[in-house]
Amino acid sequence: MTPAAAEEAAERRVLGWWGRPGGDWVAQGRQFWGLYARELLKTFRNPWVIVITLVQPFMWLAFFGASFENVPLAELKQLLCGLSNPGCQAAVTSYVQFLLPGVLATSMLSIGMFGAMSTIQDKRFGFMKRILLTPTSRATVYLAKALGAATRGLVQIPVMIAAAYAFGVTISAPAWMWGGWIAGLALLGIGFSALFLAITASSTDWQTPGVIANFITMPLMFASGALFPTANYPSWMQTIAEGNPVTYAALLGRDVVVYHTFSAVDLGYLALFAAAILLIGTIVASRYLKAE
Amino acid sequence: MTLAAIDATGLTKVYGRLTAVDHVDLKVSAGGVFGLLGPNGAGKTTIIKLLTGLSDITEGSAYVAGFDVRRQPMHAKQRIGWVAAEVILDDDLSAWENLWLQAQLQRISGWTDRARSLLRYFDLDDRRSDRVGGFSTGMRKKLEIALALLHQPEVIFMDEPTIGLDANTRRMLWEMIRGVNREFQVTVLLTSHYIEEADALCDHVAIIDHGRFVAQGTPDELKARVRAEFIELETRPPLAEAELLALPGVQSARSQGSGWLLRVASADETLAAILTRVDPRTIHRVNVERPSLESVFIDLTGSRIDSTAGEVPDYRKFYANLRRAQR
Repeated sequence: MTPAAAEEAAERRVLGWWGRPGGDWVAQGRQFWGLYARELLKTFRNPWVIVITLVQPFMWLAFFGASFENVPLAELKQLLCGLSNPGCQAAVTSYVQFLLPGVLATSMLSIGMFGAMSTIQDKRFGFMKRILLTPTSRATVYLAKALGAATRGLVQIPVMIAAAYAFGVTISAPAWMWGGWIAGLALLGIGFSALFLAITASSTDWQTPGVIANFITMPLMFASGALFPTANYPSWMQTIAEGNPVTYAALLGRDVVVYHTFSAVDLGYLALFAAAILLIGTIVASRYLKAE
Repeated sequence: MTLAAIDATGLTKVYGRLTAVDHVDLKVSAGGVFGLLGPNGAGKTTIIKLLTGLSDITEGSAYVAGFDVRRQPMHAKQRIGWVAAEVILDDDLSAWENLWLQAQLQRISGWTDRARSLLRYFDLDDRRSDRVGGFSTGMRKKLEIALALLHQPEVIFMDEPTIGLDANTRRMLWEMIRGVNREFQVTVLLTSHYIEEADALCDHVAIIDHGRFVAQGTPDELKARVRAEFIELETRPPLAEAELLALPGVQSARSQGSGWLLRVASADETLAAILTRVDPRTIHRVNVERPSLESVFIDLTGSRIDSTAGEVPDYRKFYANLRRAQR
């Protein structure tokens, strides 16, 4: 490089420092918004996504909720609440009512898979290269994908609640409790989609998300208080359930739906879970997110 | 005083035991069309990946638009555009939405006027709301170039811009690249393994083989360097080297597969001699290579740039990508 050119380059470097492309939050916000909006546009332009989103909650409640249909209500109450819990026995009206918060919590588990799959698709089709050849950081890509997937999962919540109403569940808790519950579900969804994306950051194989989904989803779904009361579990499974964020989202929801009470501790646990995974995931992704 | 658009010294990339790019010095002055010409696997795409920061440099330095790609990759990325060999767009989005996304990622304001004029320039303005998935290959290529130009970059990288295109589209694209280079005053660095493309399109060509530059210059300079023509000759039974060297005008003979590659002063003269002295029934194959970038490459490396053998899997992959992308 000639001296004049070097000087000009040095000058540009100084000017560039003020407009630091990587460090400007507003600028990163635009990149995030662009990628996030893309995720949502792509998802909801697919008519099948909408159909599945609408049908799936009904299927859950119809098939799984009906599995205790022939159990007399008194016995069901004993099964779900235990013998020495008159408060619970008074509040439970059906298995669907008991099940609704749990099903919503477990449905947040699987949404991470879609975010991971769309990321792998972007790597396979080269779109990740298009993104990373602009001044967009890997961390921004990661956050947009994780929150995009979580948002997609949140759409299931109103549908599911409407479905529960259709199955005869009525909920009379105040609105702020509802808000807190939905916030808890959102945090759970963000945490799990962030976890999936972090695990698959360096993968380009279509099969990975499915394998991980089986590995994570099944144990966490059953070793939680989402579908059955944990009191019936052996102690080792109770231990898992006690640390499992799915349990906290399910209990948070059950408090609202069944008892009309609210547990700030459960919500706090979920917030901690989401924040920790997002932080770790961002660090992992900014290092290991592959372009192709 | 103009800054060199690209200035790389000792650029090296090692993948495990393979040295894909081997101490390449590349200086591209602003404003021209620069071609990296070489066979598949020579390291062309790797050079683009290194210069755009997509792949980490093993050794050496690279400045693009005045910024060190290693230390200030984000600054460099603000000033480059990129056109992929396989045409990478989001098919679920419309042309306008693709442009919108690119503007967000490049964080440019006031982009709508420029986007509109680019769509007009590329004759896509009446399709701006249509989903890209339904576009023809030519239209997709045009939109990709429009995306690359949106943020007014100083350098555009084009990786095999005309691979897999038919002759007409290819010629149209050459004119378009020339036009873009002129009207938007943007430096173009392209890779190609098509001789005629480098010859027709580039002001400056670097010929690359096995990760190294074997020659650099304007197409005319390079052709002038080889004051010879080549004859590829295959006979059954094969001729001995001494017989070949005895033919008039033969400067050297190099064995090439089951035949010979003859470097000759004038192909016409030697060919006439071959046909009289060698039994024509034994000639299995004969081919004359006039002065061209191909003959430069043959002279320097003893093999052809456009050997179709290495290309088959590449094409398959390309068309598979295209089909997937169009679905």
